[in-house]
Amino acid sequence: MLGQTLGRVDDTELVREAQRGNHAAFEELVRHYDQAVLRLALHLTGSEQDAQDIYQEAFLKAYKSVGNFRFECSFYTWIYRIVTNLCLDHLRKRQVRKEEAPVAVDPGGEEYDLLDRVADGRAAANPERDLMRREIGGRINRALDRLTPRERMVFELKHYQGLKLRTVGEMLNTTEETAKNTLFRATQKLRAALGDIR
Amino acid sequence: MKCEWVRANLLLYMYDELADDARFELEQHLERCAACARERAATREFKETMSAALPVAEPAPNLLAASRMRLQEALETAERPGWWHHLAFDLGHLFSRTRFSPALASVIFIAGVAAGIGSTYKLVSQERGNVAAVAGDGTQPMESSIAGIRAITQQPGSNKVEIKYDTVSTQSTEGSLNDARIQQLLLYAARNNYNSGVRLDSVDLLTQNPDNMQTREALIYALRYDTNPGVRLKAIDGLRAYVKQDVRVRDAMLEALLNDGNLGVRTEALHLLEPVSADSSVRQALLRLAREDKNQFIRSRSRMVLAQLPEID
Repeated sequence: MLGQTLGRVDDTELVREAQRGNHAAFEELVRHYDQAVLRLALHLTGSEQDAQDIYQEAFLKAYKSVGNFRFECSFYTWIYRIVTNLCLDHLRKRQVRKEEAPVAVDPGGEEYDLLDRVADGRAAANPERDLMRREIGGRINRALDRLTPRERMVFELKHYQGLKLRTVGEMLNTTEETAKNTLFRATQKLRAALGDIR
Repeated sequence: MKCEWVRANLLLYMYDELADDARFELEQHLERCAACARERAATREFKETMSAALPVAEPAPNLLAASRMRLQEALETAERPGWWHHLAFDLGHLFSRTRFSPALASVIFIAGVAAGIGSTYKLVSQERGNVAAVAGDGTQPMESSIAGIRAITQQPGSNKVEIKYDTVSTQSTEGSLNDARIQQLLLYAARNNYNSGVRLDSVDLLTQNPDNMQTREALIYALRYDTNPGVRLKAIDGLRAYVKQDVRVRDAMLEALLNDGNLGVRTEALHLLEPVSADSSVRQALLRLAREDKNQFIRSRSRMVLAQLPEID
């Protein structure tokens, strides 16, 4: 964390250098944040390919518009705002695709996306437990998919990425209060959908 | 009512978003209320289930490396910002380079805005019933040049209207950094301009002459009140040589260290105050930061500086 903090201290000078066209400075800035960006994109999309696409688009956008950065927020917030918007676009597109995706019905009567079920070829010590874990994971994924893109994004940033609600609000260009209310709605929906899971 | 409040805030509590006093009250309530305690357990279980089912993993090194390579290739062919971009944002760098040529006259071009003189123009109906605005001198004023309307008078029994308005005209001046008029405009721009880029450029130029008391005051003002952290950092840069000898500069640095919203500004202020950490006000501030600052870097750095100080009896 100390290293991360020191990284943010250097950002101001790196940003100014990048604004002057210093390629190496921009690459250094990328290295400060790219692991966290990729982690977020990977967890949200569940796909390495999609995560790489978001990563690429986010940093290319940042490169092209770093000249417009006026230090009115931290560079961290600024880059995350770009990534968050790209993730929201991805979620919106995915929602449209899901409505057209092939579905089946499991023994419990629940619909599931055929794309969710991937056979695990490894020899497992406890295949029944693994199956149950995959089914719970599948149900949780489906419950997450039923959230609106913004609810999904707020839940991802708060629950999985551990950011403060104030930061989440800044990244989504809204207030902390709105982020809070969105989190409440998301968790209510998730708990309603997953109430019987133990 | 209390249970209602607790249920409404339980989620924030579980996500560590409650203020300390609210958290304390809530925990006190949970010790006494079995129903709310059950709700806490259910919320905790929900959180744990969500985390266990979809753990957040660090990206594999191969994936990160591949992403970086792909980005590097794309950056090499990406459209770079145009020459105008360098001109607009490199002014600070340009002027800092001229700092090392004091013998040469620094030529600055400042576009200023000044209130213009009043003019009149008449509204005249045209054949098709449209109204055209015609200036007293026959030219049509641009809307962007109008600063305000002073008076509107309609001549009785006529369709003629007289309007008095003020105009804004852009002016420019040039001269060396030592020129009093240039200094005056720079001081004005540092405090009053709505454009943070212009304020940044002004403060940058003012840092070349912080011996001047007015300039030093302007830099202190910028450090205390400017809304842009880049400007505040630039002001710190200009004041660094005066932290030891000028107690007003030292106080402004202390305020920045304790209260600035930007971590970069706070860190830079801490760095500049280290040589004067024997000052009792600085020492007191460091003690407080070492004990209670929310930022781990500030806390640990403050402790390190204090550890290097001799004990005072």
